[in-house]
Amino acid sequence: MEHGSYSDLSKSTFSLVDEDHTFANSVRFILNQDPRVTFCGYSIPHPSENRVNVRVQTTGDPASEVLKDGCQDLMLMCQHVRSTFGKAVNDFKTSKSVRSTSEKAVSESDDDMDT
Amino acid sequence: MSSSGDESMASEIDEQEQNGGRGIPDYIMNLEDVPSTLPTHLELQKTRVFCNLDAPQHTDTIQYSGAYAALGVDNSVRLDNFYQNFKVEVKRITDEEMEFDMIGIDPAVANAFRRILIAEVPTMAIERVYIANNTSLVQDEVLSHRLGLIPIDADPKLFEYPDDAGGENNEKNTIVFKQHVRCEKGQPRLTVKSDTLKWLPNGSELIAEGTKSAADPAPKTFTTFNQKSLPKFSKDPAPYNLDVIVAKLGPGQEIELEAHAVKGIGKTHAKWSPVATAWYRMLPEVVLTKDVKDELAEELVSKCPAKVFDIEDIGRGRKKAVVKNARACTLCRECIREADEGEEGGEGEKWTDRVSLRRVKDHFIFTIESTGAIPPDVLFTEAVKILEDKCERVITELS
Amino acid sequence: MDPLPEPVSYLCGDCGVENTLKSGDVIQCRDCGYRILYKKRTRRIVQYEAR
Repeated sequence: MEHGSYSDLSKSTFSLVDEDHTFANSVRFILNQDPRVTFCGYSIPHPSENRVNVRVQTTGDPASEVLKDGCQDLMLMCQHVRSTFGKAVNDFKTSKSVRSTSEKAVSESDDDMDT
Repeated sequence: MSSSGDESMASEIDEQEQNGGRGIPDYIMNLEDVPSTLPTHLELQKTRVFCNLDAPQHTDTIQYSGAYAALGVDNSVRLDNFYQNFKVEVKRITDEEMEFDMIGIDPAVANAFRRILIAEVPTMAIERVYIANNTSLVQDEVLSHRLGLIPIDADPKLFEYPDDAGGENNEKNTIVFKQHVRCEKGQPRLTVKSDTLKWLPNGSELIAEGTKSAADPAPKTFTTFNQKSLPKFSKDPAPYNLDVIVAKLGPGQEIELEAHAVKGIGKTHAKWSPVATAWYRMLPEVVLTKDVKDELAEELVSKCPAKVFDIEDIGRGRKKAVVKNARACTLCRECIREADEGEEGGEGEKWTDRVSLRRVKDHFIFTIESTGAIPPDVLFTEAVKILEDKCERVITELS
Repeated sequence: MDPLPEPVSYLCGDCGVENTLKSGDVIQCRDCGYRILYKKRTRRIVQYEAR
């Protein structure tokens, strides 16, 4: 749901249902680093309501487009995090299994070695 | 390094910066295509938290794109820049726990991952307990609560949320366990452990109230399904830990019940949280801004309970303190505390002039402790996916 | 719904013997005559939320 004026699309408040700090704070972070954004903040109007209001003011571009771009950026970031993480875990696991097999080979050849 | 005396603070910080990994030597900073050309002290304030004796300083992260516009420095987010700088270094992985370093990411996003891990990654947990008999000392509701908290080793991806079926129980959303234990008279006390929870692939065996009447050949139970027909389980659902104490029975006491596990998330109830906990800390950075030698070096080493410092021989019987293991630093700030507080304001050098404690703002040491049902590396991947889904939802709602 | 009310078991407060009473019966232990009886847990299934 979007609250803003129809004449000035550059300022809007977006009311997101079923979201909390998790999403709102990350998207606020991303948006603040966008040069088109003059202001971005969020609030949770009531703690027992699952709703968060994100305010976006821009230098001229439609706020909804900027927010959409912000989400897109966050999504690309997540994808990059996921692939990097997957690679790091794989590398770690393979290097560890290589090391443990070589250790095994060493301990088999050298019985009095303390493993 | 060993040159004596009056080097200026800034150049020494500069020098330490070069050693500190993220540090950038001057000749690189002077190149034109280097994105950030902030003065070193501003760069330092932007990237480090200073853990001073009285309070931490420069704790905020500079987010606003135009924060350094007056200096002609662009602070806007550059995705390709993030792609270049982001790094993950795995430190250790077991089936239940992992630690890794996440470098070059916003605290807001790192925190989002942590929050999702705790509250939004689904697992299976016992939600409804049907008690036929319980003569033990543990009350029914306490027993049910205890059962709910037992981690269930079943892949939640193979199941649906109960709401998707309109609250109806079916083979896709419910796992049924049976527990029937009895301590015979004349026997010693019996400790009931979670391994007595047995999976019922054919669903409930207890007869539902009110359907027992007359000559119904197949009395109705609480569920009507068969999970044996689904060949997708790689192993039978069971509690992850088989030695969780559920109750203790005296002679003659008995527990007979059925427990129904469903899929859920930690936001609803902590029993669905897939992690014991997940946390991160920023990488500590310990910098000696002056050379610390001889007795002072000995004192510094003995002051630190985390054994961050070490002593290096610099020849002719002289010793120098070096930072050996900054990662172990707990920022207790014991190393910058003056031994005799009474002589406050006395002349001479203080420990705060020699040691600088900092944290790197974009370097997170992330630790995930899984409850066992899902390995920690899978958990993290799932958490990132959930954040992606959130973005996607907002994008589709906006267009 | 239920045509015949089921007999309910009680335990004597004094000697602990099991008594089965129907509605209308005198509340008294058949063994020792003690007049305090405790209801025994039935096998009726109770549902709890594991929270």
